[in-house]
Amino acid sequence: MISERLRKVILTQLELDDFPLEESTLATTVPGWDSLSHARIISAVEAEYKIHFKTVEIIRLKNVGDLQALVDRKLS
Amino acid sequence: MQFDSLTFLAFVGGIWLIYQLTPERYRWQMMLVASLGFYATFKAPLLLLALCAVTVLSFELGRRISRETKPSRRGGLLWAGIAANLSILCLVKYWRPIAATAFPSLAPWCSEAGLFVTIGVSYFTLQAISYLADVYLEVVEAEPHLGRFALYLSFFPKLLQGPIERAGDLLPQLKASYRCNYDNMRSGVLLFAWGLFKKTAVANRLAPYVNTIYGDVRAYGGISLMMATYMYAIQVYADFSGYTDMALGVARFFNVGLTQNFNAPYLSSSVTEFWRRWHISFSRWILDYIFRPLQTVWRGIGRAGTAAALLVTFLFSGIWHGVAASFIVWGLLHGLYLAGWFLCAPVVSRFFKRLGCQNHPALKVAGVVLTFHLVCFAWIFFRANSLADGIYVSTHLLSGVGGYALAVVSNFRDLLHHKELWDPILLGKTLPVFLLLLASLAVMLAASLLHGRIRISAHPAWFRWPAYYALVCSIALLSTFDNVGFVYFQF
Repeated sequence: MISERLRKVILTQLELDDFPLEESTLATTVPGWDSLSHARIISAVEAEYKIHFKTVEIIRLKNVGDLQALVDRKLS
Repeated sequence: MQFDSLTFLAFVGGIWLIYQLTPERYRWQMMLVASLGFYATFKAPLLLLALCAVTVLSFELGRRISRETKPSRRGGLLWAGIAANLSILCLVKYWRPIAATAFPSLAPWCSEAGLFVTIGVSYFTLQAISYLADVYLEVVEAEPHLGRFALYLSFFPKLLQGPIERAGDLLPQLKASYRCNYDNMRSGVLLFAWGLFKKTAVANRLAPYVNTIYGDVRAYGGISLMMATYMYAIQVYADFSGYTDMALGVARFFNVGLTQNFNAPYLSSSVTEFWRRWHISFSRWILDYIFRPLQTVWRGIGRAGTAAALLVTFLFSGIWHGVAASFIVWGLLHGLYLAGWFLCAPVVSRFFKRLGCQNHPALKVAGVVLTFHLVCFAWIFFRANSLADGIYVSTHLLSGVGGYALAVVSNFRDLLHHKELWDPILLGKTLPVFLLLLASLAVMLAASLLHGRIRISAHPAWFRWPAYYALVCSIALLSTFDNVGFVYFQF
């Protein structure tokens, strides 16, 4: 389940009013979320939750569900 | 053994026949022997040695990475694998300048013994690095069988010029049981023939024009330099995508689907899009293994971090093609295009949004034209024999163009009789030879535009067979088998 807070951070960065984000959603299927904007979104998530991801953790992310799980792990 | 030679056709036919007759459990061994045998025909013992070394090293390190649980040791093993593969790549690729400097008396013997041949090494080393990185990132499991892993690196259709295949894509296909598939055979033959046409009828016909001008750039004016540059853009596409189609076609005979390397790259409306459509397997490689890690590490400095990562990534791309200054300039130009566009895109986008024309078709057309010319400008350095030649061409593209245009306009009604106006375009060739080239280009363009809209195999026989005959006739009438090597063999 993708939290409303994470969803809001991602959609704000992509300048999208609304887009359904599921756990299985791939970045490539979200308008504007490409390899160039990826770092910006990750930085915004880190700033929102005041957490820091390791490089390898970011590279291993496969979908939005992985990102949510990583955020949850960092906060726990 | 070149892909566009009769020897290669006979080789593929023979291997396919033996493959059918070989029992299922021995097929991978048979294909491995065939692939190594194919590589051995280049009479370059150092290359075979390099392939064996990369295979054994990467296989062993992959297994160790997967067994290791301590993150720091896993990282250490990955870096050891990357360093070992890059060392082998550099040693093979730069053995010629090393030998010429360190052992000048041995250089002629090395040349005779085939020790300076570098075909394929850039591709299988990148593939081995991608395998190690994917095992490290737990994208794929380490391959437990050395023989199967060796086949993954050496599978002959993609050994010389790629595509650079991921283990997760290719290994399962090489392990799958084989049954001759009529549809794969038919589409494989068609794809091979189409690739052969692009190589022999388009690339081989363009090569003499381009070679003549780029061989002595100072002897020609702006019109000829421009013509040669446009021609090279088409030549390098027809050459490399022709090779790729042939490789994909041959792989299909064995039920293996390789990565499509090209997707109408010159129809891209930005350089970013161009790199999503040109040499796709290589773009994916540099994106995943160089750009993404750098961008992630430098994300703290915002957009500048991404721009810097683009520059470094394309600098690597230039060096990968060759250490010559002209390749480095080519890579840096693309890095600058991409970084510049990345930094300016939001402003440009807002500007057109404000004008209310951000989705206007004219903007898309302008984007395609601009991108094509930016790419062509960079090709100048890619093709030039030296950096000095590249700088000369890039600074003399417009020399004499104004006078030429005026002469064409003032003699428009009588153009055919003014030989001096045709010379900069015909470049020493006769009009019929030039028209044959235009016919080849027209066939390629028409077929490329129809590609994706018409699936020949989905049509009835009355449509399919004339199309097949048209392709065969085009190859027979328009091809030239002048033993022009493939452009990307040198990388």
